[in-house]
Amino acid sequence: MNTIADFLKNSYRAYPDKIAIIDNNSKLTYSELNQGVNDFSSFLNKFPKNSVISLLFDNTHEFVISYLGTISSGCIAHLIPTGISQKNLMGQISSAKPKLVLSSENHFSKIAEIESKIIEKLRFSEVKKISSNDRKPQPSDYAYLIYTSGTTSSPKGVPITHSNCVFTTTNIVRTLQYSQDDIDVLPLPLSHSFGLGCLHTSLYVGSTLIIHKTVEIPQIFDSIKNYNATTLAAIPSTLSKIVSNGFDDSSNILSNLRLIITNSTFFPPETIKKLKKILKNGKVATYYGLTEASRSTFMIFDDDNKIESVGKPSDGISLKLVSNNEESTIGEVWIKGHNVIEKYWNEEHTKENLDDGWLKTSDLGKIDDDGYLYILGRVDDLINISGEKVYPQEIERVVKVLTGIDDVIAVPMKHEVFGEVVKLFVKKSIESNISKTDILTHCIKNLERFKVPAKIEFVEDFPRTDYGKIKRFMLK
Amino acid sequence: MVLDDDVKKIFLETFPALPESDFQWGKTQKDYEDWDSFAQLNLITLAEAKFEITFSDDEVTSISSAKNLLDRIKSHI
Repeated sequence: MNTIADFLKNSYRAYPDKIAIIDNNSKLTYSELNQGVNDFSSFLNKFPKNSVISLLFDNTHEFVISYLGTISSGCIAHLIPTGISQKNLMGQISSAKPKLVLSSENHFSKIAEIESKIIEKLRFSEVKKISSNDRKPQPSDYAYLIYTSGTTSSPKGVPITHSNCVFTTTNIVRTLQYSQDDIDVLPLPLSHSFGLGCLHTSLYVGSTLIIHKTVEIPQIFDSIKNYNATTLAAIPSTLSKIVSNGFDDSSNILSNLRLIITNSTFFPPETIKKLKKILKNGKVATYYGLTEASRSTFMIFDDDNKIESVGKPSDGISLKLVSNNEESTIGEVWIKGHNVIEKYWNEEHTKENLDDGWLKTSDLGKIDDDGYLYILGRVDDLINISGEKVYPQEIERVVKVLTGIDDVIAVPMKHEVFGEVVKLFVKKSIESNISKTDILTHCIKNLERFKVPAKIEFVEDFPRTDYGKIKRFMLK
Repeated sequence: MVLDDDVKKIFLETFPALPESDFQWGKTQKDYEDWDSFAQLNLITLAEAKFEITFSDDEVTSISSAKNLLDRIKSHI
């Protein structure tokens, strides 16, 4: 298979009557999905090849048809998160320069505000079959464009080729052993690299994908139970909630899954242990990657020895750690491989982030003697306390084990004597009565003295990106 | 006496290795092996969080015993 379009074509030929996609309202067979995609593609023939088509949809079959229809026609799907602010939407549209912006009915009011005479704006229901689609994408063509979440700086446009995606999907399938027998539950946005990768995987092997619009644990449980699901992909916080005390029936419902996959630079070890205990024969796995270099490592948690690692490099991917322009045992993670983009959209940010095919991730890592990668934090996030470099994640991990805390962020705070000290922002759980002294006492017991926060501030929530990630840099 | 107990508790929490029987109000910073500048910062942070007060820089540098700390807290509440 050379392009993402081939994933669908192959599975359609092999399993035409099999259910491909299940969403809240409908089930689509591979045959129906293929027809819908062909019809959609034909509509886009009026635009030149490689035109950008912006898509704003919830997780629905409409999104899947629009996305696959766009890339099958040789156009580029610009994927917009539904939680995007109007300001960021305008910023992305201005950068992506689409020929068409398409949305579901419920999001049309957002795109209606785009002021442009050359950009067409349509609802999904307004797209009609025009003629047969005679265009095909090439492996080197861009398939989709995602703007990174901007947790450390302004968003960057990341264009992914079909070739990038085929390489990544093949790695996912091989490493995590996906097959046509799988039934995959997906409570993740398809506009994000993690969720989209799961869609590609499902299409590649011809499995059934159950997509959820929102992350509601009872609904996730219903899908697993009602469809005898075999895999679940979710972010760590969802999995932590699932194994928390609030869901007594989680053991019964999850026990038959063969795989739970997440993505994180830090997956709480307690959650991993609880999930492993629940699964009868299944595996718990994570991966490390960026939109620019999807699924660069995989970690299958077979034992408890490497529980804080994000695993080893995927096949065909090289990693190195760089500090002061030299390879080092601890340093910035650089990635090279067919999953890595060649350049950023509009060439912006390319020079500073890509070097001879190596992507500079800005993540700090270390690799142990067995070749396992550990992510320590972000290069820019280090706190320098009297010359001692402190990773905020180390402090955050210590504090997160306390009951009554939803999330915590450690940032540097200027200090006359020490240069910088640690300031902690804490979001308490609902009805939590944990105090600042409880947190400090716990830190004194579990951290070196210089790492103990010098100030704690309780917050209602954190500034977040359109994808819901915390904008750490705004707290500094 | 409640305040005294609270301040003593802060002290013992800041210096977990200090047996309660060794605690003395008049013992000064130089009598403690591990009362360094970071321990001072921990002590002040804990006291400020507990009593919801803020010490001035001068106060911070003047606190060199449990009694000093108690007196400074009393002046704030």
